[in-house]
Amino acid sequence: MKPYDHSFHAFIQGIILIGFALLMLGLILSGNIVYYIAPTMMPFIYFSMTTFFFLGIVQVFRSTKKEDDHDHDHTACNCEHDHQINGPPWVKVMIYSIFILPVIFGFALPDRGLDSSVAANRGMQLGSGINEEISKKSANKKETVESSDSEEEVSRVDDYLDDPEGYIDSLGSSSDDLQDEDHYVIEDLYDEEWFDDYYVELAEEMMDEDIIVVTEKNYLDMMTIFDLYLDKFIGKEIEIAGFTFRERDFDSNQIVAARFSMTCCTADAGVYGTLIESSEAENYDDDTWISASGTIEKDEYNGQTVPVITNATIFEIEEPDSPYVYPSF
Amino acid sequence: MKNNKGTLIGKDLLGLGLLFLFLLLFLFSEQVSTSEQMESLPNAMVNVNTIFLSIVIEAIPFILLGVFISALIQMYVSEETIQRFLPKNAVAALVPAAMLGAIIPLCECAIVPVVRRLIRKGMPLHVGVVFLVAAPILNPVVFASTFFAFRNNPTILYSRMGLAFVLSIIIGAIILKLFKNKPDQLRQTANMSLASHHVHVEGIQPQRKKATILTQVRDTLYHAVDEFFMMGKYLILGAFIAALFQTFLDRSLLETIGSNEYSSTVVMMVFAYLLSLCSEADAFVASSFGNQFTDQSLVAFLVYGPMLDLKNTFMLFAFFKARFVIAFMIIVTFIVFVSVLLLFGWIL
Repeated sequence: MKPYDHSFHAFIQGIILIGFALLMLGLILSGNIVYYIAPTMMPFIYFSMTTFFFLGIVQVFRSTKKEDDHDHDHTACNCEHDHQINGPPWVKVMIYSIFILPVIFGFALPDRGLDSSVAANRGMQLGSGINEEISKKSANKKETVESSDSEEEVSRVDDYLDDPEGYIDSLGSSSDDLQDEDHYVIEDLYDEEWFDDYYVELAEEMMDEDIIVVTEKNYLDMMTIFDLYLDKFIGKEIEIAGFTFRERDFDSNQIVAARFSMTCCTADAGVYGTLIESSEAENYDDDTWISASGTIEKDEYNGQTVPVITNATIFEIEEPDSPYVYPSF
Repeated sequence: MKNNKGTLIGKDLLGLGLLFLFLLLFLFSEQVSTSEQMESLPNAMVNVNTIFLSIVIEAIPFILLGVFISALIQMYVSEETIQRFLPKNAVAALVPAAMLGAIIPLCECAIVPVVRRLIRKGMPLHVGVVFLVAAPILNPVVFASTFFAFRNNPTILYSRMGLAFVLSIIIGAIILKLFKNKPDQLRQTANMSLASHHVHVEGIQPQRKKATILTQVRDTLYHAVDEFFMMGKYLILGAFIAALFQTFLDRSLLETIGSNEYSSTVVMMVFAYLLSLCSEADAFVASSFGNQFTDQSLVAFLVYGPMLDLKNTFMLFAFFKARFVIAFMIIVTFIVFVSVLLLFGWIL
């Protein structure tokens, strides 16, 4: 067997490390890193990028030490030499290919966000899904409250239908006592006070707006709020952006504006969408970025209560800089 | 080797060529990746690539952390130190090991090289296993993310943390019982080369200079790089297969299979294994399943995934004997399944 060529392996390894560092640097410089990693994780990426550059250079220097270096200084670290990449040449080529290919793929393949085919496989969440858990947990406890709530709901919808403007005006004035009611229900469910405080405050803030604009920043919070307090928002104007997506059983006037949410990386990405009903819906293919504005209504989809934007006007928009949305904490 | 100048130059050229290729790609990445040929690639392929790179780039800092800690242990923690801090009684070592696992903030990528190094340094196998399964779950970051993801359902958080603690001890105890007489379950190739190397080193031992700080730092770096290349290939392979599942597995399929409490628990465990999520983020994925799955199956997902997943299995096979890894996988799977059923069937 040929002696293990330390210098060659150190050299190749050093270059691979520099390759990885260049890939990360390239992604950061072009801004395309947002397709792969959530902003909160970026410090870790900077850490590994600098470490790779540094280690890569160290490795290249290590390779300049020839193996006729007789005191074996750089290897005589009394460790087991279990890191050597052994085997016939084709095995070595395979092993290094495993490291080289991701770098080449990273540079050469287009940087794109996940699309609707992934969304379909992941399963779309219409709303944040938090509503179901709550109702599941507190079904018995809340029964009485809920029934009176929904009666009130019907009457409120009637109010709105009779006199939309008057009703919306009255929303502002009545929001205080609505708040108290929310507070009672919510505090019943949670121990963590900051949790309801946060959403109650945000919901209150949003109800004061003429048009509710769902942005990248408040996207997930708004999804949660619509699940918690959907009834309070019925009849409000809303504006929301996302990529288009359809479930198989959708009618031709139904479409979803969806966003992927990401915590660390795309492996944990989930899909959150809002159902839109509009005569313009069929004009848009899947994976088109749209902005839709319309009126919030309540509907059921597959037995789940979901917000739906009715009579929406839709127009196509540019893909946003950040294709994903992120949790706000 | 020395008389073979030709191959030497050839090898140098190979390396330089590679560097040149990387630099070229770096400079013209945008032109290449937005070219028509690349843009016309099937979407599925681009999706796989996106998720694959995402997992790799995401895991690299944590692997680096793991190999650096491992290198530091290699350099500065002696076998004697480990022996001194370990309780003499094998069973008595289990509980402190689980508690120590709770303090070490390492995820499931970083813990593998560290545990292997500790075992190599003379830590008993079963204690290492306790670390291996406890540390990725019992750590502050995971606690916080689970708390946020299940704000409205603290049962999940407490079951996850409680089970991780108790199960790591149980799993450690079973490993102790099974492998009591064969504690050496690390792969052997290393020791063979150690033997040959040893003879070689012995002769020059007296002339060895005392290690200066500089050489110590340098050796630590060398160890870290070597170990990165040792582990990295398994990480990358695991990430690729996980990316395939991430892209092509239709999750609604799982929901139809996982309708009753047994099958849903099994389905969620399989799912946790295949997805190979980082334990810091898996709680958010689990919470997006909140609607369709029971608390029981979600806890199974959250406890099983960090202990064992696809990406991890590759790394375990790299370091441990195959028989041990298979035994470990069976034990962890069985224990997690049974205990989750017991916990939610009888206690909660």
